[in-house]
Amino acid sequence: MVVNLETKKIPAGRIAEDKVLRFSVGERISHWVHAISFFVLLFTGLGVLSVFFQPAMSIIGGVQVAMVIHRVSAIVFVVVVGMMFFIGNPRYHWRWLKFVFNFTKSDWQHVSAFPKEFFGGHGNYPAPDKFNGGEKINSLITILGTVFITLSGVVMWFASSFPPALVRWAYPVHDLSMILMTAAVIGHMYLGLLHPDSRAAMSGMINGYVSTKFARAHHGDWLERLEQEQKAYDDSEIINHRLDNRGKGSSF
Amino acid sequence: MTRKMVLVDTSKCTGCKACSVACKEWNELPAEKTKLITSYQTHKDFTTKTWTYMTFLEKYEKQSMNWLMRKAQCFHCADPACLKACSSNAIAKTESGFVVIDQEKCTGCGYCVENCPFGVPKVDPIKKKAYKCTGCIERVENNLLPACVYTCQPGALSFGERDAMLGQAKDRLAKVQKTHPKAQLYGEKEMGGSTFLYLLLDSPEVYGLPINPTIPLSLTLWKDVIRPVGGIAVGGAAAAVVIGVFANLFRGNYRQSDEKVENDSGDSDRKKGGKD
Repeated sequence: MVVNLETKKIPAGRIAEDKVLRFSVGERISHWVHAISFFVLLFTGLGVLSVFFQPAMSIIGGVQVAMVIHRVSAIVFVVVVGMMFFIGNPRYHWRWLKFVFNFTKSDWQHVSAFPKEFFGGHGNYPAPDKFNGGEKINSLITILGTVFITLSGVVMWFASSFPPALVRWAYPVHDLSMILMTAAVIGHMYLGLLHPDSRAAMSGMINGYVSTKFARAHHGDWLERLEQEQKAYDDSEIINHRLDNRGKGSSF
Repeated sequence: MTRKMVLVDTSKCTGCKACSVACKEWNELPAEKTKLITSYQTHKDFTTKTWTYMTFLEKYEKQSMNWLMRKAQCFHCADPACLKACSSNAIAKTESGFVVIDQEKCTGCGYCVENCPFGVPKVDPIKKKAYKCTGCIERVENNLLPACVYTCQPGALSFGERDAMLGQAKDRLAKVQKTHPKAQLYGEKEMGGSTFLYLLLDSPEVYGLPINPTIPLSLTLWKDVIRPVGGIAVGGAAAAVVIGVFANLFRGNYRQSDEKVENDSGDSDRKKGGKD
């Protein structure tokens, strides 16, 4: 059995009594930096994009200021989150990518049951792993949206260094990425804050832990695997401990 | 005011550049340091302070030289890409057919710059405003000729009602074609029919003009497809959330889940002494 995929280097273990660690500190920093800078970018971007939102820019001192804030927060949006893939304990970030880009048959089953769940009903689908189909789609929209909005944003920022044909295409790409991510974030916030079942997941993005009860109901496969890994880890600890003691004993 | 037209008859142009001087004078645009681009051409491109300039081209063919000159300025399209691209409603089209930028409303985003098929508007990086030829709209609306037309000595520029001017242009073309078989009108159909219409002595590409200028596909896709469909998508997501909240309320899911949470957390809180 492949052990220690998620519990490695976390000696305390991830399951503490009735809670289980779902998101590391790094993941939570990434999430909130991305979230806050996204809304700053959305607000300032809409001010440039549409006359409807332009008057609101007076809050921050006008459209010109909005453009500067837009570029500064764009750097935070991209660089800080990008850095989190390489500093601290980035294995969680990479593992998230691995989960998200592995879209399985049971994920489709979750997605097809999702509309029912969204409006408060209950659908039938196999117990998901750490991320269910809907969460994977949300992650994919965020990842792809971020990549495309960043690339098109660079072209728009340094428009004079790129051929006009490319700059012309950067505008609709930037707009489309924004629209997809905005639609996704509306649903994401509903599920995290307002949906009676799934809002229990919110604590995972605040202190990192979700209740094992929630994990068992919504991410059964994942919790089961963690428990097995933890058990294997604990067992090996006990063996090591005994071995250590034996060694000590023989020297004396 | 009816639709107007300026005929730029390049067969009559002598390349004296008086039009660009008149433009600078009337519009109070400062002179800029220039250098030779080709034999007689002194401006390479439009700037925020140069709204019209002359292009010069020596074309050698069959042991003879054709001197092709063209006064470049905004075409004032009937179907302007800049207007479609503008995100702050700063660009407008007058009844007389001139496309004007309102610098009060302009935010300097530069979308017009990138989408104009002729590369006409330019953004001042300090003022953050876009500038281009206004067609001397304030003169035209007071029954005066645009400054460039007013000053043109050889009669290469003429101004009038579009319908009448178009007839004149065609008559003139028939004459010019006897000596210049490749001569053609440019701007009759291009971009919906431009207010500045050219009689060119050769094909547009020789002058560096696009053969079939159009509103870029990316711009149409952006403004006519992505924008409305995206609006529906975002609105739909918001509507789904509102419906979701009400659906859950009606099903009594909030009551259930609150009870559940109370029961669950009640136990664990006691265990931990409410530390969390």
